[in-house]
Amino acid sequence: MQFPIFQVPYLGNGMIIALDAVLHVIISHGLAIGAITLIVISEYLGFKKSSQDWENFAKEFLKFTIIITTSVGAVTGAGIWLITSALAPLGIGSMLRVFFWPWFLEWIVFTGELIIILLYYFTWDKWTAERKRRHIYLGASYVVFALASAFLITGILGFMLTPDGWPWNKSFWSAFFNPSFLPQLLLRIGLAFSLGALFSAAFLLFTRREKDFRKEALRFFGKAALVSFSATVLFTWWYFSVVPSTFKTYAVFSVLTSRFSQQPELFWYANGAGAVLLLLFSLVSMKGPAVLTKLLIIPALLVSMGLVSEFERVREFIRGPYLMPGYMYANQVLLNETPFFSKEGTLKNDFWFNHGPDNQEAMVQGAYLFARNCSACHTIGGINDIVKKVDGRTEDGIFVIIGYTHEMVPFMPPFSGTEAERRTLAGYLYGIAQGTIKLQDPSRLVPAKGGGNHE
Amino acid sequence: MNNLSDLLISKPIPEALLRGLLFTSFTLHLLFVLLTLGTAILALAYFIDSWYGGRAKEPRFGKRMLKTFMAHKSLAVVLGVAPLLLIQVGSTIPFFTAVNLFAPYWLLLVVFLIIAFLSFDAFGHKIYAHRHIHLALGVIALAFLLAVPGIFAAILTAFENPDKWQAIMSGGHRLTGALAVLWLLRYLHVLGAAVVFGAGFHYFFTAEDDTERKSLQKWFVAGILLQLILGILLYGTLPARPGYVIITSLFAGIAAASISLWFVFSAARKGLPLNSKMVLPVLMLVLVSMLLARQFLQDRTLLPLQKRLEANATAYENELKPFERQTLDAYGASLKVVYDSGEIIYAKSCAFCHGAKGDGKGVEAKGLSIPPEDIAAIRTTRGQLYDILKYGVHGSAMPYFIFFDKDKLDSLMDYMDRTYHVLSPPEAVLVSVSKPAMEQANSTYGQACAGCHGMDGKGSKLSQGFKPRPPDFTVYSLSPKRAFEVISNSYPGTMMPAFESLPEEVRWGLVKIVNEKRRQSRALASPGSRLGVESASSRP
Repeated sequence: MQFPIFQVPYLGNGMIIALDAVLHVIISHGLAIGAITLIVISEYLGFKKSSQDWENFAKEFLKFTIIITTSVGAVTGAGIWLITSALAPLGIGSMLRVFFWPWFLEWIVFTGELIIILLYYFTWDKWTAERKRRHIYLGASYVVFALASAFLITGILGFMLTPDGWPWNKSFWSAFFNPSFLPQLLLRIGLAFSLGALFSAAFLLFTRREKDFRKEALRFFGKAALVSFSATVLFTWWYFSVVPSTFKTYAVFSVLTSRFSQQPELFWYANGAGAVLLLLFSLVSMKGPAVLTKLLIIPALLVSMGLVSEFERVREFIRGPYLMPGYMYANQVLLNETPFFSKEGTLKNDFWFNHGPDNQEAMVQGAYLFARNCSACHTIGGINDIVKKVDGRTEDGIFVIIGYTHEMVPFMPPFSGTEAERRTLAGYLYGIAQGTIKLQDPSRLVPAKGGGNHE
Repeated sequence: MNNLSDLLISKPIPEALLRGLLFTSFTLHLLFVLLTLGTAILALAYFIDSWYGGRAKEPRFGKRMLKTFMAHKSLAVVLGVAPLLLIQVGSTIPFFTAVNLFAPYWLLLVVFLIIAFLSFDAFGHKIYAHRHIHLALGVIALAFLLAVPGIFAAILTAFENPDKWQAIMSGGHRLTGALAVLWLLRYLHVLGAAVVFGAGFHYFFTAEDDTERKSLQKWFVAGILLQLILGILLYGTLPARPGYVIITSLFAGIAAASISLWFVFSAARKGLPLNSKMVLPVLMLVLVSMLLARQFLQDRTLLPLQKRLEANATAYENELKPFERQTLDAYGASLKVVYDSGEIIYAKSCAFCHGAKGDGKGVEAKGLSIPPEDIAAIRTTRGQLYDILKYGVHGSAMPYFIFFDKDKLDSLMDYMDRTYHVLSPPEAVLVSVSKPAMEQANSTYGQACAGCHGMDGKGSKLSQGFKPRPPDFTVYSLSPKRAFEVISNSYPGTMMPAFESLPEEVRWGLVKIVNEKRRQSRALASPGSRLGVESASSRP
């Protein structure tokens, strides 16, 4: 490869992207799409019913929302990109080529979205009376831009799991309007309104409101939540029905991980309990006492955020060995390169390895082969720790297993390199597991020299 | 340097358009970056001045400035998306490499920006109360915000100096020597520009009276003078003979900056504050010409590099081409394989060692010092088999399989039982052993076997440290033929020795003893009807 390799120590690269992305999804879906749409509707209700309560609620909630979306939402969104630029440069660099124009359009839409929301916010007190209607239209046009943004990004996200004919025909249109595009877009909009209704209800419950208005508004948000939850469930079912079985079969494992994989019933209990809680919340907020709603809102919000994280986790995990299916593996090795490297070698085709120090030492070569082949997912001593994975195996066993990763563990990419390189990597992993090889710089996966090693 | 993949050399947008868009969007982005930084610096300065300079009742100017912060910072962020996209497409390798060289700082950008923005939101909110808390918030916000252009300046410095990448990498990912000086000057140059642009903006759009305007005018003039000094120092870092295009742009920028100063001074001579908005387009002219100079300077290094990279990449792509067909075929075939049945899982995850026929003769078996077990010879319990699958066999090549959830492992165990009868009761030993041979076998077991396997067959204390440990005979047995083979020829790679010197009949006697341990425990464990069936079926 032509890029140096960096790994976030202990947490691993995947976790860093996930933390940022989940936060972004919760804000971008829940607040930027869901909540602001409901704010515009609230403003409209205030206008139609001449209700100062609705008007005040909408305005105050917008202030909160706009602070969070501009300070955290926008930064974490760009953050997904910043992070992948450092951690998976070849992956993001290649994706940019396939989806250049949607990405560029997304920039225009994103900028438009921001300008409109700033206008909407700053004109709230100026566009009143006969100009109120215009203000509401401005809000509605924001919603159109926000949905356009979701439209553009979903095409790219869907591609990463269901690229359709793209690996063969490299057609942009089949890549963008891939089979999971539409169900995923609808699913995301459903999520957005579910989260939006919950955030609105939370803001309503935790700020000072007039009693009757609170009741009326809660009933409205409860209904909105119920409709959105049901739609989300429906679209989730549709989404998973178009995901190929070869990927879908790891869905339960992706949530439970090795830690809980032997209690698959947990998956169903947890999701069932979450669904029941959300249903209960929407019913209580429509009919029940406000105290009970207040009691349930925080758990309901946490559950819905958990479900969003779960969906993103499943979607990202089950595409398994691929970063771009049919083109690039998760470790940024091209599918074409694997047979090439097994003949010609991985190490000698790597710029930074060839210019690195001590590259004749087996330990350094092993460390590099680990970095190149494994470090996209495995850390040493942290999350998804390779030491725990190979612990107890013989060196010859590790050698054999490395050669079959993609068959034995279907969501892993294959090893890329010659047989000699595979032997070197096996020796390195065995040494790491035995504790005879230690790391000096875990972020660059550089082994320590001298005393600590080969004891 | 080769290995550019085919996608990385594809050009989704014409070169000239890309460069034009990059320049335009970057200029817009930088403009709002400068306004964001300038607003932040000035607002905090006015806040401190009014609270601690004895004008405690007038922190309003700083607060009014901060009201524009949300718009500036949001626009700075969104407008940054386009240059990021375009530079990553136009200069893929240099940009990603530079980012990677400073990866930890680059990742921290996200955190720094969130802390800075939220702190500014809190700082601007209720600015009149709790001045120490607000001072702390403002200082934190500004410190984190000012770190951001520092990180970008470092990355752009690395980006424009590909010949220094090795040195940065081996020097612990730090800029040293001349590069460090260049970085510092650039960074200060950005901060200076921020003050000038911030002061210029708030002079016309925020200031409400002449006192406010006058004080901003001071910042403006001081900022431009600082920029001139930093500019002269930066000029010293230019390569020899930079070429007339770069010189022209630089001097156009200097001229425009001087004109803006002239506006201020000529107004001041008449005793008036500056009131010509003409200063704003002139300032834009400064920005544009300076950025043009920067762009041309960068192109001098990066354009030839890009050509070389693309030539290498095309050659590399040609090397990979022959593998494309087989790769796509294999990919297409892999999409049809679903790991949802024991049969598939066995074929994919087990057979390369244990063999497609379960005979332990998979293609990789010969490379293993401890040979994989002949599956068809195993007779064990579901619990024991599940344990082996869950934990693997420590000290051997046998890994664990909990990366399959329980449903899949159940299906695998069902398959193994269906095909190889691994969960069937142990087969009876049909070879007859004479009484004396049986007696010798019994005493041999006690003397030679029990040390490791234990009299009860569960494994002795001593053997608990072995890797791998001996099997628990009460739950795990082998077919008589296979057991005889192990006793006679050892289990390679483990502590189990060969007993070929014992008479054959005695070895069969040992097989019976071992077999019996399993049957005894089954008899104890399984009550009622199952017991009856088993003892009936195992009667010779």
